[in-house]
Amino acid sequence: MIKQHLEVRIVFSWLVCILIAPLCYLNADDDLSLQDRQRVAAIERYRIQAINRVIQSVVAIYDEDRQGGGSGVIIDPSGIVLTNHHVIMGAGVKGWGGLADGELYKWKLIGTDPGGDLAIIQLEGKSVFPATPLGNSDKVKVGDWALAMGNPFILTEDQVPTVTLGIVSGVKRYQPGAGKNQLVYGNCIQVDSSINPGNSGGPLFNFNGEVIGINGRGSFKERGRVNVGLGYAISANQIKNFIPDLLATKLVEHATLDASFSDRGGKVVCSKLNRDAPVAAAGLDLGDELLEFEGEKVKNANQFTNLICTLPEDWPTELLIRKQDGTEHQIVVRTFGLPYAKPRVRGGQGGKEEKDPEKKKQLERQREMIALLSANPGDIRYPEINRGYAQQILKQWKERIHQEFSIGVVKLAGEILEDGKVKGTQETWLASDGRIRVDQTIDGQLVVYQYDGDSFWLTEEGKTSELSLRESQSKWGFDQALMMSAVFRQKPFDLFGKVLIDGSDKAIGANAYRFKVDPSEGDSMYCWFSMFDLDGKPNINLVKSSFERDCLIGGGTTFESWTQVGPVQLPLKRQRVFGLEESVERQVIDSDFEWLKTVPDDLFYANAQTK
Amino acid sequence: MNRFGWRIAILVGCALQITGNQLAVAQQKSQSSFVNRAISKSQPKMAKVFGASAGKVEGFATGIIVSKDGLILSSQGVFLDGRQVKVVLADGAEHIATILKRDRETQLSLLKIQADTPNFFELSAESVGEKGDWVIALSNAFKVADKDEPVSAMLGVISLRTTMEARLTKRDVAYRGELILIDAITSNPGASGGAVVTPDGKLVGIVGKIINSSETNTRLNYAVPSPVLKAFVDGKASVTSDVKPVMERQDVEFGIVLFKLGGRNNPAYIDRVVRGSPAAQAKLKSDDMIVSIAGEKIGNLKDYAESLKSLRPEEEVLMIVKRGVEMVRVRIAPRLKK
Repeated sequence: MIKQHLEVRIVFSWLVCILIAPLCYLNADDDLSLQDRQRVAAIERYRIQAINRVIQSVVAIYDEDRQGGGSGVIIDPSGIVLTNHHVIMGAGVKGWGGLADGELYKWKLIGTDPGGDLAIIQLEGKSVFPATPLGNSDKVKVGDWALAMGNPFILTEDQVPTVTLGIVSGVKRYQPGAGKNQLVYGNCIQVDSSINPGNSGGPLFNFNGEVIGINGRGSFKERGRVNVGLGYAISANQIKNFIPDLLATKLVEHATLDASFSDRGGKVVCSKLNRDAPVAAAGLDLGDELLEFEGEKVKNANQFTNLICTLPEDWPTELLIRKQDGTEHQIVVRTFGLPYAKPRVRGGQGGKEEKDPEKKKQLERQREMIALLSANPGDIRYPEINRGYAQQILKQWKERIHQEFSIGVVKLAGEILEDGKVKGTQETWLASDGRIRVDQTIDGQLVVYQYDGDSFWLTEEGKTSELSLRESQSKWGFDQALMMSAVFRQKPFDLFGKVLIDGSDKAIGANAYRFKVDPSEGDSMYCWFSMFDLDGKPNINLVKSSFERDCLIGGGTTFESWTQVGPVQLPLKRQRVFGLEESVERQVIDSDFEWLKTVPDDLFYANAQTK
Repeated sequence: MNRFGWRIAILVGCALQITGNQLAVAQQKSQSSFVNRAISKSQPKMAKVFGASAGKVEGFATGIIVSKDGLILSSQGVFLDGRQVKVVLADGAEHIATILKRDRETQLSLLKIQADTPNFFELSAESVGEKGDWVIALSNAFKVADKDEPVSAMLGVISLRTTMEARLTKRDVAYRGELILIDAITSNPGASGGAVVTPDGKLVGIVGKIINSSETNTRLNYAVPSPVLKAFVDGKASVTSDVKPVMERQDVEFGIVLFKLGGRNNPAYIDRVVRGSPAAQAKLKSDDMIVSIAGEKIGNLKDYAESLKSLRPEEEVLMIVKRGVEMVRVRIAPRLKK
C-alpha cells in the first residue's frame, strides 16, 4: 500500500508542478484575469481527460506465475496488445495482464519481432477491451507533450498504471541493437518522460489519446538501469508496418536490401552491393546515388539506415536512384530478411531437474522460448489463430462498408479506359442475394458475365457457357464484381476459399494486410486490405486483388474511390495494375451508380436459359 | 518582453494548445505550443562538439553559438585536449575549432570556428529566469545526434538559484560560483555546454559539467548562468563577488604509516598508528586494511595518496577498513600535515 501511495503522489506531484505552479503564481498576482485562471484550469482538465481516456487500455504484463514486469497497450477491442519483444523474452509465451479495472486477464503470445523489439500478445476473458488506436507518429514534433504509462518497478498493487509526463526530446533517433540484428531502434522517438525498468512495452501517448509509440529503452550507460532523462519509443508508424506479420503469428525479420550506402561528397552513394540481390537485378549499381527511399529524400547514409530499420522482410521498398550518367530511375523491390542467431539448445541433464516442479516449469518455459526463436522466420506458426484474425478483419471490413441489410440491387455503369482513352463500357449489377451480372462492351463486342449464386456463366455472341471459379476470377470485369459482391455474402470470402493473413505489405502506396485465399483446389489468390486512412485512423478496406503476390504476369486489380451506393460502399474506380510499382494498364470508372429496391425480372437469366 | 510578459505568453500558449473540446483544434494548436516554438528557435544556435576521449570519459560535448562570427561557448573537458576539436552545426556542416580560452573555475571554454553564424544566443548581463519558471534544456547527451540531427530537448523548471563553493581538489564538485538548479535531467555525458532557455528562447545559462556525488551516486542538474558566461566571454576575471575564494590546497594526514614493502600497487595496510593522531582517536589498528575513504575505493597505496590530496583539514569523512574478517566503519577528520 505504501508503494501505491508513493506512486499516486509522484503522479500527482507532476500535475502539481506543471499546472498548479503557474496557478500559484497567478494567485499571487492580481493582474491576471479570471479568464486566464479558467484557461489554466481548462488545461489541467484537458490533461486529466487525456489520461483518463487512455489509461484503461494500458496493460501490466506478468508471467505465468504473476511475477516479473513489463507493460503493454491494447490497440484493438478484441484484446490485441502491443509490447516489447524483450518483455516476452522475460515473461514467456503466456501469462497474465493486469488492467486498470483491477482484474488480471490471461494472455498468449501471437507474433514477435526481435529485430525491432516488438511483440503482439492476445488478452482473453472479455469480449470488448478498452483500446487506444495508434496515431500517426510522423506528425510527432520535438517539444510535444508525451505521456508514458506502464508499470515501472512493478509499483502497482491494483493494476492501475503509473503515468509520467514529459516532452518529445527528439524524433528520428537511432539506437543500435544488441546481438545479431536484434533490438534495433530506428527512426524512434526520444522523450524526457521518465522511462524506467518495467515501463518496457508500455505506450507513449499524445494528448489526443493516441498511441504514438511503444517505450522500450533508455540511455542507461553509467548509472545502472534508471531513468536519466532519455527514453526511446518505437514509433507507431514502424509498428504499423509490422502488425500484419505479427498477427500472422510469425517470427518476423527486418528488411535488408543487401546493399549499403555511404556519404561521399554530400551524396549518398551505393558502396557495397550483393550482385545476387534483387535490387542489383532491378538496376542498382555501385556508385549510384540514392535520392529517395520510401518516398523520403535521403540526405545522409545514417538516414537510410534509420529508415530501413523500420521495415519488415519482404517489404516492397521504393528507391529513387541517380546513375552516374545522370539519369534517374525508380526501383521497387522486395527486401530480404536480416537473420537472427538461432538460440543454442543446451542438452538436458536427464531426469534430475525434471523432478523438481519449479525447475521443470522453468525448463518448459525455456523450451517454449527456444521453440519460438528457432521457428523459421516468416513461417505462420499457428494457422488457426491466424485465420481467426483474418476473419476478424473481414468482419470489421464488412460491418463498416455494409452497415444495414436491405433487399435490392446495385447498378454501376461507366467507361473502360486505356491510356486515358475510352475502350468500352461496363455495367455491373450486384444483387443483395449475391447474384451478379456484368455487361462489358470492348471495341463493340458485348460480353455478359453472370453468377447466379451457384454457377458462373459467360454469354458471348449469343452463346452461354459455364465458367469455373478460377476462370471467372481471371476475367477482367467479372473478377471485380465477384470481389465487390463479397460485402453481400454472409461469409464474404468463403466463395473463394480459406483466408489466411499472409503478412505485411503495401498496396496503392499505403500499409496493407496481404491475405492469401486458398481454394479447395487450384491457385491461391491474394488480396490486400488497407489498415489506415491518410490521417492514420483505422480504416480496413479492400484495395487490391491478384493471383500473384507481385502482380508481375497477370497483373492485379485495385479498388479505389469508395462511395456510398444504397446500403453499401463500393469502389467506383477499379484499375488493372502490373508489378510492385503498380503501373496502370486499364481502368473502369463508374460515373453512374444507383440502388434499385426491386430486382428487374429478366436481369439474371443465364441459369434459367441453360437449364 | 519582460518576465511577467512571457509567463502570460506561456499560459495563453498552453490555453490555446489545450483548451477546447475539439481534439482537432487542440492538435492544430499544439503545433505552435510554446515548447515547440522555443525549441525550433534555439536549435539553429546549437553546436555538437567532438574531440578526444580518455578512457571512460567521453570525447563529446554540446556548445552554443554566442556571436555572428563563429564564437562557440562550451564546457571544459577532456574533449578539448586532443589534436583537434570538431564542431558540427545544426545544418550538419563540420568545422575545425580553435580553443580561445578555457577556465578552470567556471569550467567553461570558448571556441572559434571560421564560419559565419547568423543564429546565435545573446548573453545577458542580467540573470534570466526565476525559481519556478519553465526552462527547456537542449543538449547532445549520449551523442544521440552527430550530423544534422537536432540535439535533444528536455522540459523542466528552475528549482533554485544558488552558489556552489568550489572544491577543486574534490572530484565531486568541479564548478565554483553561482548556478541555477533545474529539474530536467541534464547531468549526462555530452550534455555539458548545452543551452537552457526560457520559453521565449532567452538563454538562462548553459548545462554545467556533471556533478556526481560519489557517496549517493546522485547528480546535480544545473545551468551556469548567463552573466557568468558573459563575463567569461568578455574576458572579465572575477564574475561573482560573494563567493568565498578557493582555498589553497593544504596537505593533510591521518597519522597512519602504511606497509611499504613493494610498489605503489600494494593494498593499503596500516603498519603503525601515530600516537595522539586522528587515526589513533578513531581507534585504527595495525594490520587494518583501508578499503575506502569518503566513498572512494582505496585499492592500493597510490589510491590512498591520491585520496589524501582531496581532503581538507578537520573535515570529517567516512573511512572503511578491513580488520580480520570484519569491515569497520570509522568517522575520521584529517589534520594539517606538520
